[in-house]
Amino acid sequence: MLKIDNLHVRVAGREILKGLSLAVQPGEMHAVMGPNGAGKSTLGHVLAGRPGYEVTQGTVEFDGRNLLEMAPEQRAAAGVFLAFQYPVEIPGVNNTYFLRTALNAQRKARGGDELDSMQFLKLVREKLKVMQLSPDLLNRAVNEGFSGGEKKRNEIFQMAVLEPRLAILDETDSGLDIDALRQVAEGVNALRAPDRAFVVITHYQRLLDYIVPDRVHVLADGRIVESGDAGLAQQLEAHGYAWVRERQPAEAGA
Amino acid sequence: MATRPGEIEAALSRRYAAGFVTDIESDSLPPGLNEDAIRALSARKQEPAWMTEWRLAAYRHWLTMAPPRWAKLRLAPIDFQAISYYSAPKNRPQSLDEVDPRLLETYEKLGVPLHERARLAGVAVDAVFDSVSVANTAREELAKVGVIFCSMSEAIREHGELVRQYLGSVVPRGDNFFAALNSAVFSDGSFVFIPKGVRCPMELSTYFRINAGHTGQFERTLIIAEEGAYVSYLEGCTAPMRDENQLHAAVVELVALERAHIKYSTVQNWYPGDEHGRGGIYNFVTKRGDCRGNDSRISWTQVETGSAITWKYPSCILRGDRSVGEFHSVALTHHWQQADTGTKMIHVGRDTKSKIVSKGISAGHGQNSYRGLVKVEAGAENARNHTRCDSLLIGKHCGAHTFPYIEVKNPTAIVEHEATTSRISDDQMFYCRSRGIGEEDAVSMIVDGFCRQVFRELPMEFAVEAKKLLEVSLEGAIG
Amino acid sequence: MNAVLSPFVQSMHAAAQAARLPGSGIGWLDQARAEALRAFLGRGLPDTRNELWKYTALRTLERRAFAPADPDAATRTLDIDALAPGTRGAARIVFVNGAFRADLSRLDGLPGGVTLAPLSRELAERPEPLRFLLGSRQRDDDAFAWLNLALASDGVILRVAPGVRADPPVHVIHAGADAGGEIAWHARSLIEVGEGARLDLVEHHVGGGAQGHFADLVCEVMLHPRAGLDWTVLQHAAGAMTLLRRSDAQLHDDARLTLHALELGGRLARHEIRATLAGDRARFHGRGAFVLRDRQHGDTELLVEHRGRDTVSDAMWRGVADGRARGVFHGSITVAQGADGADANLSNKNLLLSRSAEIDTRPVLEIHADEVKAAHGATVGQLDENVLFYLRSRGIPEAAARRMLVRAFCAEALAGIEPRLRERCDALLAAVLPGEVLP
Repeated sequence: MLKIDNLHVRVAGREILKGLSLAVQPGEMHAVMGPNGAGKSTLGHVLAGRPGYEVTQGTVEFDGRNLLEMAPEQRAAAGVFLAFQYPVEIPGVNNTYFLRTALNAQRKARGGDELDSMQFLKLVREKLKVMQLSPDLLNRAVNEGFSGGEKKRNEIFQMAVLEPRLAILDETDSGLDIDALRQVAEGVNALRAPDRAFVVITHYQRLLDYIVPDRVHVLADGRIVESGDAGLAQQLEAHGYAWVRERQPAEAGA
Repeated sequence: MATRPGEIEAALSRRYAAGFVTDIESDSLPPGLNEDAIRALSARKQEPAWMTEWRLAAYRHWLTMAPPRWAKLRLAPIDFQAISYYSAPKNRPQSLDEVDPRLLETYEKLGVPLHERARLAGVAVDAVFDSVSVANTAREELAKVGVIFCSMSEAIREHGELVRQYLGSVVPRGDNFFAALNSAVFSDGSFVFIPKGVRCPMELSTYFRINAGHTGQFERTLIIAEEGAYVSYLEGCTAPMRDENQLHAAVVELVALERAHIKYSTVQNWYPGDEHGRGGIYNFVTKRGDCRGNDSRISWTQVETGSAITWKYPSCILRGDRSVGEFHSVALTHHWQQADTGTKMIHVGRDTKSKIVSKGISAGHGQNSYRGLVKVEAGAENARNHTRCDSLLIGKHCGAHTFPYIEVKNPTAIVEHEATTSRISDDQMFYCRSRGIGEEDAVSMIVDGFCRQVFRELPMEFAVEAKKLLEVSLEGAIG
Repeated sequence: MNAVLSPFVQSMHAAAQAARLPGSGIGWLDQARAEALRAFLGRGLPDTRNELWKYTALRTLERRAFAPADPDAATRTLDIDALAPGTRGAARIVFVNGAFRADLSRLDGLPGGVTLAPLSRELAERPEPLRFLLGSRQRDDDAFAWLNLALASDGVILRVAPGVRADPPVHVIHAGADAGGEIAWHARSLIEVGEGARLDLVEHHVGGGAQGHFADLVCEVMLHPRAGLDWTVLQHAAGAMTLLRRSDAQLHDDARLTLHALELGGRLARHEIRATLAGDRARFHGRGAFVLRDRQHGDTELLVEHRGRDTVSDAMWRGVADGRARGVFHGSITVAQGADGADANLSNKNLLLSRSAEIDTRPVLEIHADEVKAAHGATVGQLDENVLFYLRSRGIPEAAARRMLVRAFCAEALAGIEPRLRERCDALLAAVLPGEVLP
């Protein structure tokens, strides 16, 4: 479904990703872990098409299409969703309205029907239950005045409504207390489906206590330096990132 | 999107269906301004002698005045002798083929029906809309409760004493350069009188008034709400009016007696000129409300997207104790438009309150200035003002300016002013796009959010139109 | 011509004709002064239609005439140590009624690379480098700046060579004293901080006596790349004084200006501060407070212009008006086209303490660039009655409680001053605040 091959990315003149490769199949849950500055968030942003990220080498295919040629909204319509590490506040724009516009834009791009407000409201109510979000959040402006936890849950809620095929969660666990973390994880788990894949980007292993990954990748210095099953995350937790670096002396120096 | 095209079309056709009555006299005065021209104008309008004298006094005062310079505007000098002060609309195109195709395109986007487009573009189609009866029905209904709603010309003839009592009592003849000019030569406008205790049974707008068609460059409006009365008045049009007139200098006076409430909403979308800054209206307006009675209230709401130059400061004189003044404004400048707009809140009475919310949007080479005065006189115990002034910049060549003046002479007053300037951030754009919303839609969504606080103040159908107007006006601002 | 000139302008005209100014005889200087005088006479005093003088009317000043100078300025005894405590033994330059006083100044003992001298001496010894300061290249229609150029007889020339750190602070003291009549003086100063250099400057305006002198001071500040200036102004001029000041600061790449101003004195005191952030990443931090009472009129005009990229300005002013005083604040931030990345913040809060006092404030933003973060806020109000009640409920008498709160209100703007100087500010403030002094 997603095939990243030898991806090199520059941001503000600095090379951040230096030959990253990663393949994700439908239904899979991948975790990308790594120390600060390894390029984790860059990966999420470049997949979602954030302007200012320059791909100097490599390819990204999504369902056989060249993802890098697509505008952010086209990627969204194709089913790519990025849960932001820092969700953006948009004053005055009602959360529900925002979401309905997004959903209908995507449905239209896929050649589907737009939902009218009644249909949409019904959908939202269903999804709201799953995320245990308070309905009054919907009537507020997008992320404005939300607590850190509310913002993150709002991202997962948007994901639930938009039903992407590939969801990238960028440090969704950061800044959450344990209860909020559990709620977010439950929301994610509820959305797991055979035709939907996840890439969970995280610094810590703790989220992976709740969301069990099929594959774990260690991202260091702009590359995947090691991949394994869920056990790898636990080893990382026990030994720290330095441990990976020691195990990969030849490659890290290359 | 939130609005279906059908809704807008319905709203638009409702508005304009009533409008056009061809009572325009065929003759006009030659260009030029002097006492004889004013006498001739007054005579043609069959005005009483006091009105003629009033005009002449204004004219004599005007002669001693110079045009204001302080507004932050680039402005070519206006030749006041080149204007005809009494004329039927002239130089009208004979068919739609003669109309700027971009203007027609805009109508199409706004969903204006074809026959309406002709009327808006000023094509001489003459009275094809048989809607006079609609207006008459409204007038009958209003007359039942004692509301007078007619053209200013008619009011001067039929309700002379009322007009004489109130005309110029809020905006004196010599108030400023353009107000003096208007007082001397005003052509027509609206007159509204809501008697004591009456809540006007419908929203009044120029739409209902049969003589509203082309009131020309110098409109004069007077609204009087007696004790305990309420009225909501709407002014404006949705689609850009094709208009050969370069200068519009209107005066609007509102008088609110005890416990009266006047709500005045404007959507101004005169021809803004083209993307190179050619053409467009100079819109110099003096609007002022007098909260004359205790517990009275005047609310101004405006959405200004048109005109090459807008120069207006709808103001409130809070004379009555506990009176309230409000000003909600959205002003958008695109291409080479310039707007210098704001308000004055003059606190005179005790426990008076004012609230100002101004949202300026600048795109292209547009220049947008908020200019406002909050003045608390020595006797205005416990006066309160809160001002919020936000600017949104779209693009590299536009400007957004804020010139607030705060003058406080009473130690129990609390005046607060805050202002911010921001742009649509790359983060906001990317966030919207990553959720599947295209660039133009994202911009209009963010702009709409930015203006939300003001749109809330507009009557429902106006709010829908205003939002749509911003979208159309901002086309091409990004990218 | 004289027939239409006001007494003020006439007295200035007469002064110019009688004056024997330092440096006269130097061709370019004579020419510049003559041109400046013509410009001043042609303009006359600004009226309130001038936006920068909107709330400061000069009708009273216009009717007054001032003697051209104090002939005994060089010998008047004045206890400078008492008027400007803490400056004794420090590097300081003192002017009494506009004239340089070598006997009261201490110009030696400065670190190498720092030069401090009176304008009068510099003009006598090496006038050429002052062409920049005194050449007639007036940029605007400021009548008092022209007048100053025509008549300035002295001032401060202070230069810090590149890379030099000039601490401890240098004190500039302008003192007024009774002179057997009302006199006028005009001072023109230059502060230049070289590339990568740093200067601590404290400017004192002090005065004894009851006479209402007129002073017109212009100061040019030049901050070269990476230069830093900490500039503290303590203005407690004599109560009858008319003090008009204009300070123009030019900031180049990475330069920083930190200004703290405490304005307490004068009958009419106006300070026009212009900070031009010409270089990239230049930063201006301004903090100030004015406390006015009786019939004082105070006017602060703070005009910040962002021209370079990624520039920062951040200004916070506090104003208090009591008695029949009038406090005026005009803060204007302009972001020029191309000044992307500008970050501008301006806050002005005021307390109106009396029925006969007035506050006029104008926080202005002019933005011509789009990558800008700009915000401003202004308030006029009074002390929070709840807080006042809280203090009183703890046993503090009302007058003392009010005083305490006003002091705290001003202190916020002065918090960044180095501790010893801040103590001095606090003492000056304490002396002018209404209400009882707590033991």
